[in-house]
Amino acid sequence: MNLTEKMRQEAAQILESKEADLVIGWGGGEYYWQSPPLFLEDAAGAAELAFSPFIVNNLAKYLLEELESHEKAALFVKGCDTRGINRLLQDHRIQREAVLLIGVPCAGLADREKLKAAGYDAGLLQVERQGDSFILTLEGEEGAREVPAGEFLLDKCLECRYPNPLVYDRLLGEEVQKPRERDPMARVREVQKKPVDEKYAYWQEKLSRCIRCYACRNVCPACNCRECIFDQNAPRWVGKANQLSEKQNYNIIRSFHIAGRCIDCGECQRACPMDIPLMEINRKIIQDLTELYGEYEAGIDPTDVPPLGTYRAEDPAGFSER
Amino acid sequence: MTANPILPRRAVVEKILQDTPDTKRFFVTLKDGEPFNHKPLQCAMLSVPPVGEALFSITSSPTRPEYLEFAVKEVGTVTKHLHYEVQEGTEIGIRGPYGNGFPIDVIRGKDLLFIGGGIGLAPLRSLINYCFDTRKDYSKIQIIYGARTPEDLSFKEEIFENWPKEDARLNLTVDVESPGWEEFVGFVPTYLEHLAPTPEGVIAVTCGPPIMIRFVLQGLEKLGFQPEQIITTLELKMKCGVGKCGRCNIGEKYVCQDGPVFSLAELNGMIPEF
Amino acid sequence: MKKIDKSKLEDLWGRLAAEQDLFLPVQQDSVVNFALWQEGSRVNLEAVNSLLPPKDLLFPQSEKIFSYKRREGELSFEEAPGSGPQVIFGIRPCDVRSIELLDPVFFKEPADTFYKNRREQTTLVSIGCLEPDTTCFCTAFGIQPLDAEGADVMLYDMGTAYLVSPRTEKGEKLAEEMGELLEEAAGAEEEGLQQQQEAAASAQEHGLDLDGVFEKLNDMFDHCIWEKFYRRCLACGTCTYLCPTCHCFDIQDDGSPEEGQRFRCWDSCMYEDYTHMGHGHNPRPGRRERVRNRFMHKLNYFPKDHDGVYHCVGCGRCVQKCPVNLDIMQVIEEIGKEGVGGEGHDR
Repeated sequence: MNLTEKMRQEAAQILESKEADLVIGWGGGEYYWQSPPLFLEDAAGAAELAFSPFIVNNLAKYLLEELESHEKAALFVKGCDTRGINRLLQDHRIQREAVLLIGVPCAGLADREKLKAAGYDAGLLQVERQGDSFILTLEGEEGAREVPAGEFLLDKCLECRYPNPLVYDRLLGEEVQKPRERDPMARVREVQKKPVDEKYAYWQEKLSRCIRCYACRNVCPACNCRECIFDQNAPRWVGKANQLSEKQNYNIIRSFHIAGRCIDCGECQRACPMDIPLMEINRKIIQDLTELYGEYEAGIDPTDVPPLGTYRAEDPAGFSER
Repeated sequence: MTANPILPRRAVVEKILQDTPDTKRFFVTLKDGEPFNHKPLQCAMLSVPPVGEALFSITSSPTRPEYLEFAVKEVGTVTKHLHYEVQEGTEIGIRGPYGNGFPIDVIRGKDLLFIGGGIGLAPLRSLINYCFDTRKDYSKIQIIYGARTPEDLSFKEEIFENWPKEDARLNLTVDVESPGWEEFVGFVPTYLEHLAPTPEGVIAVTCGPPIMIRFVLQGLEKLGFQPEQIITTLELKMKCGVGKCGRCNIGEKYVCQDGPVFSLAELNGMIPEF
Repeated sequence: MKKIDKSKLEDLWGRLAAEQDLFLPVQQDSVVNFALWQEGSRVNLEAVNSLLPPKDLLFPQSEKIFSYKRREGELSFEEAPGSGPQVIFGIRPCDVRSIELLDPVFFKEPADTFYKNRREQTTLVSIGCLEPDTTCFCTAFGIQPLDAEGADVMLYDMGTAYLVSPRTEKGEKLAEEMGELLEEAAGAEEEGLQQQQEAAASAQEHGLDLDGVFEKLNDMFDHCIWEKFYRRCLACGTCTYLCPTCHCFDIQDDGSPEEGQRFRCWDSCMYEDYTHMGHGHNPRPGRRERVRNRFMHKLNYFPKDHDGVYHCVGCGRCVQKCPVNLDIMQVIEEIGKEGVGGEGHDR
């Protein structure tokens, strides 16, 4: 039984047995790269679930609203997604008993942009994972082609440390072994090495692109405030004008608000329509926190103490000349 | 180049009166001396930079052009600024008039029934005074008006002094028993049911809190009023006032241009999203 | 017909830019957007669609309306100055149509003077699309990928040169500015155009049929179809900001009591704040109502007022960039499947 079939069977069984009154998973789309979040209340709908190397959406955030109208929600979760679950648990935004977690081990997801750059977009009907390869189903005579998966993985998957779910109630399939292929902090160090004015110009150029669509915030499991300051209008903390200063303001506040709470899932950057490397900012903050307060990874253990959520006498005081 | 429709004209707040505990009345004149040319139940956008602008019903009748008058309840940032920062003599911006205004032709020769709640009397007052100033054009006039408490009744000099002298029937109510109050006690829709006006030859015009409007509409229909005989005015968030910024739409209609005045017959044909 | 050799484009741009603001699709690291041309700009005429639509050039994301001053109690307003002539070069036919769809909104009395002023001074030089992107569906709206009806000048890509076809008075004037950079095209090239035309029109594979969608939606306000689509929506503004026809805006002040400015900026009907009123009421309180409004506006409300013309041009930007794949093509398809008055109504 392949993963799609397992997902469908699991979902149908959960809904039939009333173990949960909602299942959130991924559906199929018109295009090979689409994998829209899918919400099921009825076992009959389970046939719409589809596993593919594009199940990138972290479904955890939907719990906030869906649990207002459901007793218990079953959720399909990848390793990175479970850090989002832990985030919500630690922030007391969901109750563990209210979720049923079906873990999906993940050896890394495909990047449409990389496929496109290699000329595979038009005429590509389906992408499937097979061991270390992606099998591309193509329109026309050739039919199928096998390509090395590593070349077409999302950057964030190359940097992934947790291919297996950290918290789950049951697991679909075997745990996967997947070495981290790339140091996630490498980019941070590279940007950091630039002279100050160059670094400023770099961020100016990137952030000037921001259109303030708030996709980064809305997709982020750490951005779970009941009322976000960017939505307040009396007073309005950040102006709405299309100005670099406001864009910087927005992006800096956003990243500081998730300092020590960012689960490194990369969804903000993935959701950004303007291709702003938001994870470089988030990881710079993770790096600084590590230097200041020691090694800490958010979303691993919901019972731990986040560095900015506590005070220790030996914590560095004030702002140093860093 | 034609005039920019979202550029305000300069105006002065000449006089401010405390109307109810949370409502003030602002008497405004234009600095350019040109007329504003509004119709009853039209609106104007008042500007108080740097706080912004907001849309208000013009509560004065076009037949009394000395001041443009606004009754403002404190609910948001602009209204708060108007209440606490703006004083007599303060200059502000104004643009408009906006909206379709009241279809005067429809009511000529008819009996009129006005039903208002709280600050919802503000837009109606423009039309009520208009009708009193052109009294011979109309047959009977009846006004049913209520608020939470006697204190919360708007335009007290109108409802207690001026209007009782007019050729009209005035019915007042408050929601709860209050010392010294001898008129009806109960919600406006309840009072309406109690008074049970007959629908023949009558046009009913209502404005108030959304929940009151809903029950008044039901009440009127129960009394036999046809949807064509019932007219109300809607309020939605607006920014441009000229049908472009998008937010005040109900389906394909823009309340700032196609409204705010709609008959129940029109509303029944619109999507229920207001 | 005249043509211009691609090797002469840099000369042409230099010449046009000397007379007016010239905007072209420019590569800025990973993205292509319309930007003011300067010598050395990395012009990219191959990208089918710019990431952001060129609507920003007629309806800027934020735009000053006036500045105000309060001196000794006297409040004065100074209207923002108008802008000068501009050429949008390399705009695709879908985006040309999008401007034709913004026109009735901003021209409707009382006309928006900022938009009108810019629009009247804008010359559109459109390049036809030989190869669509996989998410292109402009032909569903009757747009010819190789021919923009609303363009002032139409360019046809013939490999090493563009055929140049001025369409309007403004276009003729621009062709005059091109002067000796234009040369007479050979008859064979013009013949090639016909074939290109046919190939381009059939290259899109969307299979969408808009017939009857507008009418069906008249009765689908309460339909369960919205249930199916809204739940995944993140309520971000990506689809609206990347949409070439979305035109909602907010008006805001920026400054002190003494002086400052009022500006307008793009707003999004996906945001809760958009319709949230001062006293707390919101006619579209949830994603369900907001998602429905967006699609209804594109596919029903606007057409109702504009002879059945849809407020979408099939550029595919929202399809590409929606982080949760809320795909308007699927929405259209689902609507198409519904019989009027059939199952699913009035849920």
